[in-house]
Amino acid sequence: MSVHEREDRALRLQRVAELLAEAVTPQQVLDAILTEGVRAAEARAGAIGVLSDDGESVELLAQQGYAGAIMEDWARFPVSAQLPMSQVMRTGEPLFISTLTERNELFPELAQRGQEGSSIAVLPLAVEGRVFGAMALSFADEVEFGLERREMKVALARQASQALARSRLFAQEQALRERMTFLAEASELLSSSLDYNLTLRQLTQLAVPGLADWCAIDMAGENGEIVRLAVAHQDPEKVRWAYALQDRYPPKPDQPHGVPQVLRSGEVEFFPVIPDEVLEEAIGDDEELRQIVDQLGLRSTICVPLTARGRTLGALTLIAAETHPAYTEADLQLALELAHRAAVAVDNARLYGEAEKGANAAQALAYVADGVVLIDGDGIVRHWNPAAAAITGVDETHALGKPVDEVVSAWAALTSHVPLAQPGASGTRPVTVPLVLDGREVWVAVSGVDFGEGTVYALQDVTGERALEKTRSDFVATASHELRTPLAAVYGAVRTLRREDIELSEADRTTFLEMIESEALRLSHIVGQILLAGQLDADAVELSVTECNPAEIAAGVIESASVHLPEGITLRLNADGAPSIMCDENKLRQVLVNLLDNGIKYSPDGGKVGIRLERDGNGCLIEVSDEGLGIPSSEREKIFEKFYRLDPQQTKGVGGSGLGLYICRELVERMDGTLAVDSEPGVGSRFTVALPARP
Amino acid sequence: MPERPDARGGDSRGSTRNDTRRVLVVDDERSIRMLCRVNLRASGMDVLEADDGEAGLELARRERPDLILLDVMMPGLDGWGVARELAADKNTQDIPIIFITARADPADRRLGEQLGGVGYIVKPFDPVGIGELVDDVLTRLERGEREQLQRGISTEHEQ
Repeated sequence: MSVHEREDRALRLQRVAELLAEAVTPQQVLDAILTEGVRAAEARAGAIGVLSDDGESVELLAQQGYAGAIMEDWARFPVSAQLPMSQVMRTGEPLFISTLTERNELFPELAQRGQEGSSIAVLPLAVEGRVFGAMALSFADEVEFGLERREMKVALARQASQALARSRLFAQEQALRERMTFLAEASELLSSSLDYNLTLRQLTQLAVPGLADWCAIDMAGENGEIVRLAVAHQDPEKVRWAYALQDRYPPKPDQPHGVPQVLRSGEVEFFPVIPDEVLEEAIGDDEELRQIVDQLGLRSTICVPLTARGRTLGALTLIAAETHPAYTEADLQLALELAHRAAVAVDNARLYGEAEKGANAAQALAYVADGVVLIDGDGIVRHWNPAAAAITGVDETHALGKPVDEVVSAWAALTSHVPLAQPGASGTRPVTVPLVLDGREVWVAVSGVDFGEGTVYALQDVTGERALEKTRSDFVATASHELRTPLAAVYGAVRTLRREDIELSEADRTTFLEMIESEALRLSHIVGQILLAGQLDADAVELSVTECNPAEIAAGVIESASVHLPEGITLRLNADGAPSIMCDENKLRQVLVNLLDNGIKYSPDGGKVGIRLERDGNGCLIEVSDEGLGIPSSEREKIFEKFYRLDPQQTKGVGGSGLGLYICRELVERMDGTLAVDSEPGVGSRFTVALPARP
Repeated sequence: MPERPDARGGDSRGSTRNDTRRVLVVDDERSIRMLCRVNLRASGMDVLEADDGEAGLELARRERPDLILLDVMMPGLDGWGVARELAADKNTQDIPIIFITARADPADRRLGEQLGGVGYIVKPFDPVGIGELVDDVLTRLERGEREQLQRGISTEHEQ
């Protein structure tokens, strides 16, 4: 080798070294090696391969000068293969082969696959004794690799190694920095708002194009459906197109790959290179879809679940297509980290939403008039709104967290008759139940819903409604009630008289027969009153007006009453100066009989009961008075209502049809008169009938 | 005025299961009291009677009968009130009560159940079977079936 040649070589090496020193990115380094380096080595072509992350393969990074589709044909091959680069990476020793014959002998696969060539030199790329790649140089002619030539190639490889390692480290650092920056930005974004629909949408936008060509987030719906929350691509037109595509080809929940599979399994799906069979499976026989997929140029994909508290909430999909390089393990780690943060954000937002909803619900329940009580599966009170407190008389603070049976001792009796509805089912009809609390009795309409983890009861205080209902009791129910006692006596007496297994005394037999007679009369009287009330209602009562003398009628009524007069009652009649009037004599008699009977009935402790008549202009006033229980002022008008009964506590339970006074007032008013009452509890009552001279 | 108990009922606290059953009938209707008396006696039971709530309460406290047949709608203290008073007194809270009433409303039955009744008879009723019914209730109570009897008041009659 001439001095000139030697200097020339040194110069070329120096030129390569300068270029490499300027190169920053791995691509710049590769370019420098493959242009200037290959030229400096006087080679025809060169290629650089590196060890894959898992150490199992050689990945061809770049080439210069080779014919044919070498980058595709030799993109990736095993380290264990009998190939020059593989061998160099295994041994760490440079390989120099001068002839094609020798090459084909050593590496038959190259010959088999028709790889053209002549002399080759393959040099390890290593730093600090660790081989991370290899550089192959091919020469146009057969070259004798003398010592100097070899040393020059080794020196070139060393320079290339240093530069490539440095640039890769730089690239890694930069990528790491980018990832950290990206994660920081993503975290800030995710924590910026509780509206996770919005933040996740922004997150996908943040991911393109740095992290992916396509980024999508899908959520698992409540009923197993897949809801696409967001898709991002640099080109908004493509995003619209992706949504349209999603509408036309909605994901099937049982799909073996992609989002459905990740949502189902909660496991990552990572394809550094999307296998053809996966694409084929997705495409099926749909030619149109095939074209779309071909057009997309999907290269590599990562699909990671959004998992929080053991539940898969959704999936994050990253796709490398037209611009982004195939994904690596590092990208997967980043995606996992991102998915984790997104899932936590979604979970927090949902929890907050539920808590807020709960707070809103509690606030709403605080104002609801109905008592709302939530009992958990262990019978512990979990909610007790103010209305529930008012109805039961137990404060929320004394109810929450305690067994409901301790809170309200009659709880079991209260709810045992309440059929529980299932959530969502149409509610069952509330059941009205009396709730006996210390000292008072509340009527509560209760309905309940069993939601699996407990039961919600709605309580409505219907004590008022019930009282109202009582006063307006419907005709049949009240009438039947009035008829039950005399019926019981008649039926019971007959049944007893017909007993053949016992011998009744003559006195008892007589009593039973009298009982049948009097109770049958009572029945008849009640039935008559019910019929009359019905006729008055229907306005079907006809008056037969004649001239009559109220004093005579009153005397007759007093006389009849004196026949079965209870002990302690004295009857009085004062009829001085009563005029004759035009009226219906029978109806007037009926009124007076009723009023006098009432006076006697409501004087359980005896006293004077009397009728007093006097002239009132041309008309007549008739007063029926007693010294009995009296009527509280609050009740004085109600007693004229149909079926209205004074509280048995106030009347000492005096029975009747509940129709007497209603009938009296109706009859008097039909004769153009009035019926009024004046009373003082404990002193007595005075009913005043005022009738005109003629109706 | 409450009628005097049978001569043999002199020692009021001596009632054990081997003794003759002593039943207190509280009803303001004389006819109902008489029907109960005649038919209960036919079943070999002693009968005490009261014509209102106050008298019934007093008699129950004094005589501690084996069972009370209690009307609901009575002058003064009504049947519900009597039941409440009896339940509040530990000397009388165990005396079983069968309500006899014209009130047939399911809500009334539930009140009867809550007030600790072990039976609920709606008027009109067949007095011939009343002795057997009382006997049956007392036997079931002795077997410890109080709760079933109580629940039966409102459940047996619901559709």
